[in-house]
Amino acid sequence: MGITFLQLFLLVNVFIIGALSATAIRHAWAHFRPQKPKAEKPVVQTVHLPPEVKERMLATAQADFKAVLEKSTAELQKNLQETTEDLNQELEKLGGAVIKSETERYQTMLEALRVQAETVITTAQTDIKDHQTDLKAKLDENVTAEKQRLIAQMDTKLGDAVSSFLTETLQHNVDLGAQTQYMLATLEEHKAELIKGIADES
Amino acid sequence: MKARINLPDSVASLQDLTALMLEVREYTKWFSHNAILQRVSKKRVTRPMPLSPSASMLLRDWENIQPITVRSLDELIDILNLYKNTAPTITITLAAPATNDIKHTLIGWCRTNIAPNIMVAFGFNATLLGGMVVHHGSRIFDWSFRRQILNGRERFGEVLRRV
Repeated sequence: MGITFLQLFLLVNVFIIGALSATAIRHAWAHFRPQKPKAEKPVVQTVHLPPEVKERMLATAQADFKAVLEKSTAELQKNLQETTEDLNQELEKLGGAVIKSETERYQTMLEALRVQAETVITTAQTDIKDHQTDLKAKLDENVTAEKQRLIAQMDTKLGDAVSSFLTETLQHNVDLGAQTQYMLATLEEHKAELIKGIADES
Repeated sequence: MKARINLPDSVASLQDLTALMLEVREYTKWFSHNAILQRVSKKRVTRPMPLSPSASMLLRDWENIQPITVRSLDELIDILNLYKNTAPTITITLAAPATNDIKHTLIGWCRTNIAPNIMVAFGFNATLLGGMVVHHGSRIFDWSFRRQILNGRERFGEVLRRV
């Protein structure tokens, strides 16, 4: 029972393989040896017109075609002209607007820059003027101080010189006898101070 | 000890006063010894000891106040000792060594105007140029020419500009 079924199955398979092989061969043949299509035969005009009619119809068709072509050309040219003018006008408007806008923006920017520059220059001038005033005041002050210092130094030097001169000159020429009245007058002048000093010390 | 006596102007400093006290003590010893001798025998009297002018003047002034006795001389010594311990002392520095006349003048002025028993010592410093410097304790009164010149040197420029 089992063997019969297997044999039946194998037979079916052989059949299928055979069918597939045949199909493959036919397609391969068709692929490598394609058949040229058969040229169709032109339709044979069955109605025959006289040559004058044919020429007149051809001339009419040519005239009509020419008129249509000229008309289309004129319309196309007209439309093109109008379109060109419109485009020019629009471009002119657009260009004018852009130029106006840019000019205004440029002028505004220039004005802002001018104001800023003027402000900076004014500030700088004010600062320079203030600085010059300060420098002048400081210079005057320094010159005055230096002048006073030199005068004081000169006075001190002269005072020292005169004091030294008097000290060196007079210390060997002291006459106490001539100074007695002066000394008594000095004591009288400072009598109260002297008495107070002695009383305080005691 | 209520009696007061003015010191001679020649007794200026504490050294002078100490010397005067020693002299008065010696005189007191001599006076006492001589008084004993007179009591024993009137013929045995020693020669009076030589005294300095200051001591002589002091004893004369003292004799005007009360008679000279051993007791009064002891009292005088006590007074001098009191002066030595309590009298104010000043030092006057001059530009040259002071002569006696100048010393007497300045001492007389001090004892007349400041205190009758004030002691005055003298010194000299040539750099003072003139005038005087008075010291008392820690106080110094500089009235010298040098100080005046130094104090006035700052005005020298002004004076020079005026000229």
